Amino acid sequence: MKTKKKLLLVDDDRDFLFATKLILEKAGYEVFMAEDGKTGVEMWKSIMPDLVIIDMMMETWGEGFSVLTKIRATDAGRNTPLFMLSAVDLQGPYNSYEPPPEFPMLNKVLHKPIKADELLGYIAQELKDK
Amino acid sequence: MTTEAKQPLILVIDDEEALRDGCSQVLSKTGYDVLTAENGNEGIKLAREHLPDMVFVDLKMPNLSGMEIIEILSHDIPDTVLVMITGYASIVSAVEAMKKGAYDYLPKPFSADQLRALTHRGLEHRRLKMETRMLREEKDQMQKNFITFVSHEMRSPLVVIRQYMETLKMIAGDRFEQDVREIIERCSNRVEGLENLVEHWLDISRIENGTFAEKKASLSLSSVLYRSIEEMTPLCRKRGISLKADIPDNLPEILGDEESLVRVFTNIIGNATKYTSSPGVISVGAQHDQYYVIVNISDTGIGISHDKIPFIFEPFFRCKGQDERVRGSGLGLTFCKKIMESHQGDISVSSKEGEGTIFMLKFPVQIQAKKTGPA
Repeated sequence: MKTKKKLLLVDDDRDFLFATKLILEKAGYEVFMAEDGKTGVEMWKSIMPDLVIIDMMMETWGEGFSVLTKIRATDAGRNTPLFMLSAVDLQGPYNSYEPPPEFPMLNKVLHKPIKADELLGYIAQELKDK
Repeated sequence: MTTEAKQPLILVIDDEEALRDGCSQVLSKTGYDVLTAENGNEGIKLAREHLPDMVFVDLKMPNLSGMEIIEILSHDIPDTVLVMITGYASIVSAVEAMKKGAYDYLPKPFSADQLRALTHRGLEHRRLKMETRMLREEKDQMQKNFITFVSHEMRSPLVVIRQYMETLKMIAGDRFEQDVREIIERCSNRVEGLENLVEHWLDISRIENGTFAEKKASLSLSSVLYRSIEEMTPLCRKRGISLKADIPDNLPEILGDEESLVRVFTNIIGNATKYTSSPGVISVGAQHDQYYVIVNISDTGIGISHDKIPFIFEPFFRCKGQDERVRGSGLGLTFCKKIMESHQGDISVSSKEGEGTIFMLKFPVQIQAKKTGPA
């Protein structure tokens, strides 16, 4: 039997985690959840998931980016597909945020709420060769 | 700055030594700190250095006149209360001084009591002015914080609710009956509508308090219009309405923010689809003269009755659409009007019931700086 692909969700909204987890589990993935950036990075190290979805706007602005940077800085994390989730409306106070030029690469930016079939489509696409 | 309560500081600028000393004595005895200067240059230097609460300036002085000093100080240190000391004959100049920013004038000769009373009144005026400003700043800050707060606190639960509904459809959708699926769909739509309402309302608040991010640049409206038409084509096709364009390529450039203008045009086209039935036509046209670019968006829909036209740009005003399920936020046209205003433009509407509606958007042509070399 094929082992299930492991996905890590990092988001400080417990409801959002739960809702997304149900979608992903239904599609046959094994889902791990972290409610803050620090736990997210620790779980990344212990679980080594196949793909990570990170919320951009956690507790403190930029926490999502710091998780991203930390994962990308590890050997295994250099090529792991990373998705960033945002509910930030771009007219808001954060629209001036410009990622630095050495900014680690993101595979996809998704906007909340995200349609189940779209999310699964993007994940399948990233994981198809692995 | 020290934390101990400071005495108010008064500066007296007068070339007459007797007057300087007299004022100085009266004011010091009353408990104020006093500085004196015998001419304008020295006075301005002292004022800039010590930022006095109040300055008395004599009108008639050699070199720099009192009037000039008032003008300079009211510009340099606007929080300082300025008083012009004048002779009897120069009431007219006193009035002029007040126009230039003086708080009051003091005619010579004056008594110690008059000086004390005016000083007291002037300082009280200053205190109130500063307090008002502080309160206003506080209010502006609160308004900005509120917008940020709403944007996060109100939107996140809505986003989560929609995500749950999405989940519900995904994990159990095919086990539900058609009716249940329709209920979920309608709930989703209403929540999405509420999300849009919050969004629009935030946009309008941001435009009102000047924090709406607009990146204005020289642009040709034809590309913006084509982009908007492209975005709206699928919706029009779905509704069985044809979307026609008659846009010249050589429209003069305007100064505008492309993203918000696309939102304005798609908003108006989207509105037109709500009030136009199949097989209707929505036409987007543009023309220009030397001063303005005018965009016309017309439809062959149900039109707007004469008595409703004055209100359609008001927040939350709605005309009854033919399809009750297509409900907007009620803020779309308000948004369009605000954006047009921020572009020094104008939006107007004309309509005939049963025949259709025309929105007319007028943009000022950007004035080109003369280029060097042959035109």
